[in-house]
Amino acid sequence: MEPASEPNDPPHGLDGRDPDPDDEGHDLLRGLYRAVLRLYPRGFRGRYESDLLQAFDDRRVERRFTGILGGLQLVLFLAKDVARSVPMTRGDTDEPRGWEMMMSDLVSDVVFGGRMLIKSPVFTVTAVLTLALGIGLNTAAFSAVHALLLRPLEGTEEPGELVQIYRSWAGIEFGANSIPHYRDLRDRTGEVFEDVAAWAYAPMALSADGRTDRTMGVIASADFFRTYGVTAALGRTFISGEEDRAPGAHPVVVLGHGYWQGRFGSDPQVVGRTVTLNGHAFEILGVLPPDFRGPVNYADIPLYVPLMMQREVMPGRDLIEARGSNSFSVVGRLREGATVERAGQVVDGVLAQLRDELPDDYENQLGHRLVLQEEAGIHPMFADATVGMSAVMMTVVGLLLLMACVNVANLFLARARDRRREMGLRLSLGAPRRRIVQQLLTESVLFSLLAGAAGVGLAVLATRALAVFQPPVDGPWHVAIGVDGTALWFTAGVSVAAGLVFGMVPAFHSARSDPMAALKADPDRKAFGSRTSSLLVVLQVALSLVLLVGSGLFLRSLQGATRIDPGFDDPTHLALASVDPGLQGHDEVRSRQVLDRMLEEVRALPGVTAAGLVDYPPLGLSYSTRGVGIPGYEFAEGEQNSLGYIRASEGYLEAMGTELLEGRTLRRTDDDAGAPVIVVNRRFAERFWPGESAVGKVVSTAGAEREVVGVVETGKYQSLGETPREFMVLPHRQVFASGMTVVARTAGEPGPVLGRVREIVRGIDPDMPVFDVRTMAEHMGTALLPARLGGILLGLFGVLGLTLAAVGIYGVMAYSVALRGRELGIRIALGAGRREVVRMVLREGLRLAVVGTVLGLVVAALAARGVQGLLYDVDALDPVAFIGVPLMLVAIAALAVYLPARRASRADPMGALKAE
Amino acid sequence: MAPDDGPDLDDLLPLTRTVFHILVALAGGPRHGYAVAQEVEELSDGRVVLGPGTLYGSLSRMQEAGLIEETENPGEEGLHAERRRYYRMTALGSAALGSESERLMRTANLARSRLEA
Repeated sequence: MEPASEPNDPPHGLDGRDPDPDDEGHDLLRGLYRAVLRLYPRGFRGRYESDLLQAFDDRRVERRFTGILGGLQLVLFLAKDVARSVPMTRGDTDEPRGWEMMMSDLVSDVVFGGRMLIKSPVFTVTAVLTLALGIGLNTAAFSAVHALLLRPLEGTEEPGELVQIYRSWAGIEFGANSIPHYRDLRDRTGEVFEDVAAWAYAPMALSADGRTDRTMGVIASADFFRTYGVTAALGRTFISGEEDRAPGAHPVVVLGHGYWQGRFGSDPQVVGRTVTLNGHAFEILGVLPPDFRGPVNYADIPLYVPLMMQREVMPGRDLIEARGSNSFSVVGRLREGATVERAGQVVDGVLAQLRDELPDDYENQLGHRLVLQEEAGIHPMFADATVGMSAVMMTVVGLLLLMACVNVANLFLARARDRRREMGLRLSLGAPRRRIVQQLLTESVLFSLLAGAAGVGLAVLATRALAVFQPPVDGPWHVAIGVDGTALWFTAGVSVAAGLVFGMVPAFHSARSDPMAALKADPDRKAFGSRTSSLLVVLQVALSLVLLVGSGLFLRSLQGATRIDPGFDDPTHLALASVDPGLQGHDEVRSRQVLDRMLEEVRALPGVTAAGLVDYPPLGLSYSTRGVGIPGYEFAEGEQNSLGYIRASEGYLEAMGTELLEGRTLRRTDDDAGAPVIVVNRRFAERFWPGESAVGKVVSTAGAEREVVGVVETGKYQSLGETPREFMVLPHRQVFASGMTVVARTAGEPGPVLGRVREIVRGIDPDMPVFDVRTMAEHMGTALLPARLGGILLGLFGVLGLTLAAVGIYGVMAYSVALRGRELGIRIALGAGRREVVRMVLREGLRLAVVGTVLGLVVAALAARGVQGLLYDVDALDPVAFIGVPLMLVAIAALAVYLPARRASRADPMGALKAE
Repeated sequence: MAPDDGPDLDDLLPLTRTVFHILVALAGGPRHGYAVAQEVEELSDGRVVLGPGTLYGSLSRMQEAGLIEETENPGEEGLHAERRRYYRMTALGSAALGSESERLMRTANLARSRLEA
C-alpha cells in the first residue's frame, strides 16, 4: 500500500497487490493437510487423494472457516475427521460398522486412560503442571498480543471501514494533522469518506464534589462519535452542526464509562451536572457505553471535550486556526465501495489543491499515509518495534511450550517402555495395532486437555497480572487483556496439538514393537526409544540455553545502565512533584506567582538543600527541540539545527548536581527585566565553538539573541542509551510554561519532603492537583523499563526452561540407569570401582548436555544480534552471558546426572548375578 | 439366495446415520462428493458435517458394499466439475434405503401411536 508521492499518479500505479491476501495461509494449511493424508492407507490415498484435497478446498472457502478463528476451527474439524476416518479406511479393521463401534472404543479408552492417570498421581501431576505452564504462558502471551495488535477497536461500528490519515514530511512518515488541515480534509473528501474526525490528548483537571483530579482527556471534533459509530449510554454525545459552531461556545463534556463508574459512582443523574474542568464550568452531556474505551486500544479515555473548546482546555495555545501546529490524529470512515487506495488518491488530491492555495504552508509536505485502523496497531510508527517484541515474546513462550512437550513426551516414552510388556501381550493375543495406538493417543489427548484446562487457569492469573501493570507514565492507560474466545480457541488448538505431538512418539514406538521380543524375559530394553530420548534432551538443553543467555544479556544490560553517568547526582535523594496552574484557569502572571510561592516554600522545608523548577525532568519520555541560530556558524544542508532544551529556574542545576564547567548557572534575576541568557552543555559548546570559551557567545533561539552565561557537563536527557547530544537550558522566567515540576535535593530520606510538597500545594490552591510525586529514581524507571521488563520476563522464562531441562535430563538418565542396573552390577562384580561407574554414567549424561549447550550457543549468538538495539553498554556477545550461563547450565546438568549415577554405583553385584 | 448374487440386504441393515443420509442425498440424483456432504448437512439440520476423510471413507465403503457406484458427470458445469467424481445409487442401495425407511417409519408410527394413546 504505497501512497502516491504525487497526487496525479495514474490509478493503476497504486494497485499492484495480490488479489488474494489469504494465499499464503491457504497454501500452508493445505500443505499440512496433504502431509496428514499419508496417515491413510496407500490404496485409499491413491484413489481419493485429489478428491480429498478438492473437498478441503471446498471447505476452506466456506464462510465459517475463513479468518484466523475460522482457520482454527477448520484445523479442529479436519483433525476430528482424520481421527475418525483413518481407522475406517484401514483394511484390517475388525468392525464393519464404522464409528459407532469406534465411539464405544473411545469411551472405554477414555475411562481406561483416566484410570491410568489416577493410578500414577505423581506422574500425572508433574506432567500436567509442566504442560499447563507452557499452555498458560502461551495463552497469556497470545491474549496480550491479540489485545494490542490484532483485535479491531472495540465498541465501534464496522471497524474495517475506519482509516487513519497521517501527513508525511521528510523524515516523518506518520505525522499528525493541524485543525485547519483536518477541516479541509473533512470538507473535500466526501466522495470517499462518510465522516472524518480529529482528536488529540489534552491534560485535564476535573473538580467536582470538592475533589480535583488530573487526568489525560481527549478533545475531539463534533463528528468524532458519529465517525466511530458510538452512541451514548446516557444523555448524548457530540452532534455535527451543534458542537462545532463556534470556538468557546460549547462548554460540554462526555464521560467515558469507566470514569463515570469510578469518579461519579455510576450516578444515573450525572447528565446535566456542572463540573469544573481546567478552571472553566462544563456541563456533562452524556456517558459512553462500556465497550467503547476510546480511539486507541491502550487507554480508557475518561473525558471528551469538543474541539471548539481547545483554547479553554489548553490555555496559552490557540490551535483552531494554526495550520502549522500538527498535533491531531485524523480518522475517516470509508464510504461503501471506497477503497483505501482510492481514498489515498483523493486525500493527496486535496493536498495538491492546498499547495496551490497556500504554497507557504505546504512547501515541505510530501503527502499522506493512510492506514486501516485495524492494521494500525498502537501506532504505525512503532509497528516494527511492537511486531518485533510480540514475535520475540511469542517465540519464547512457544519454545517453552515445546520444552514442556518434550519433557512430557519423555515421561510418556518412559512409561510406554514400562508398559511394553503389556502391549506385547495384547498384540500377541490378537489386539489390532491401531487399537493400541488409539488408546495411547486417547490417553495423551485426555491428559493434554486436562493440562489445557489448568493452563487456562494459569493464563487467567497471568493476564490479570498483566492488566494491572501500569507504565510509569502519567495517563489513563488501560489494555483490556482478557482470556477471550479467540485465546480459548488458541489454547484448545495448542493443547490438542501438544497432546498429539507427544502422544505420537510413544504410540508409534509401541505399535512398531515386536510382540515376541516384548514377551521375552530379557528384552533388549536399552535400544528401545532411547535415541529419541537423547535427542529430546539435547534439544531441551539447547532451548533453555537460548532463553538463559537472552535473560543474561538483559540482566547485564541493566547492570550496564546503572553504570552510565546520567549527568546528575544520586537520584534517590531527589524529590519531584508536578503542577500546572494553567489547568486551573490561571493566567501567566498568576501562574508565575503560584509557582514562585511553591518553590519558596519547598526551599524552606527542613532537609531540602537546593530546589528549582523544570518543565520536563530528564529521562522521562518527553523530549522537546527548538531551532537555533548561531552567528558565524552555517548549518550544512540536512544538518540538524533543532536541538534539545528544557526551561528551568534558578536552583534547578544545583539541585540536580549538574557539574558547572564554565561561567555561572541561572539566577533569579534572569527574568523579563534582565538580558536574555542561556546555559548550554559541553557538547553544544564544543560543536559550535571548538577550542574557544563559550561564555559570552550568542545563541539565537526562543525569540531572542541569548548570551551564553554558563557551560555544564553533558548528561543523558531522553534515555540512558542515547549518544551524547547538544542541549540548552532556557531561563523559565524568560520563556514561560505553566506546567512545571519542582525538583528538590534532600539531605535525608525524600519521603517526608514529598508528603510536605502536597500540603504546600494544597495551601496555595486547594483545587490544584499535584501529580507525579516521586523520587528521581522512580521517575527513571521509565527509561529503564524495556531493559527491566525484558530481563524479568526472560529471566523468569529462562529459569522455567532450566528447570524443565534439568527435570528432562534427570528423567532420562535415571531411567537409563535403572535399565542398566544389571549391567552396572555385573561390571562392579567384575571389579570395576564404584567411582569408575559414576564416571561412566556422568560422561554419558554430560555428553548430551554439552552437545545441547554447543547447539544452543550457536542459536543464541544469532538471536543476540537481533536484540542488540535494546541493550545498554553490553556487547551482543557479552562474555559473561556467553560463558557464565553455559557453565551454570552444564553444572546443573551435571547435578541432574550425578544423582542417578550415584545410585548406579550402589547397584548390588550379587543381585545382578543371581538373576542371570 | 439373493437374486443378483450380491451382498445380502439383511447384512447391511440397519444403516448408520451417515450412510442413511448419504443415500437420501443420492436418491435425488447423481451428485459429486462435496455436494453430497452439503446435502447431508442440510438434511441433518447441520448436525452431520462430513469432513473429507469421513466423506470419502464412507463413499468408498458404500461402493464396496454395492450401495452406490461411480457415474459420469451428469452434465453439470461449475468449479472443477470435470475433475470431480460423481456417484449414484444402485438398485441395492435403493432397496436398502427403502427397507430402512420402512423400518424407521414403522418405529416412528409405533412411537406416535403410543404417545397419542
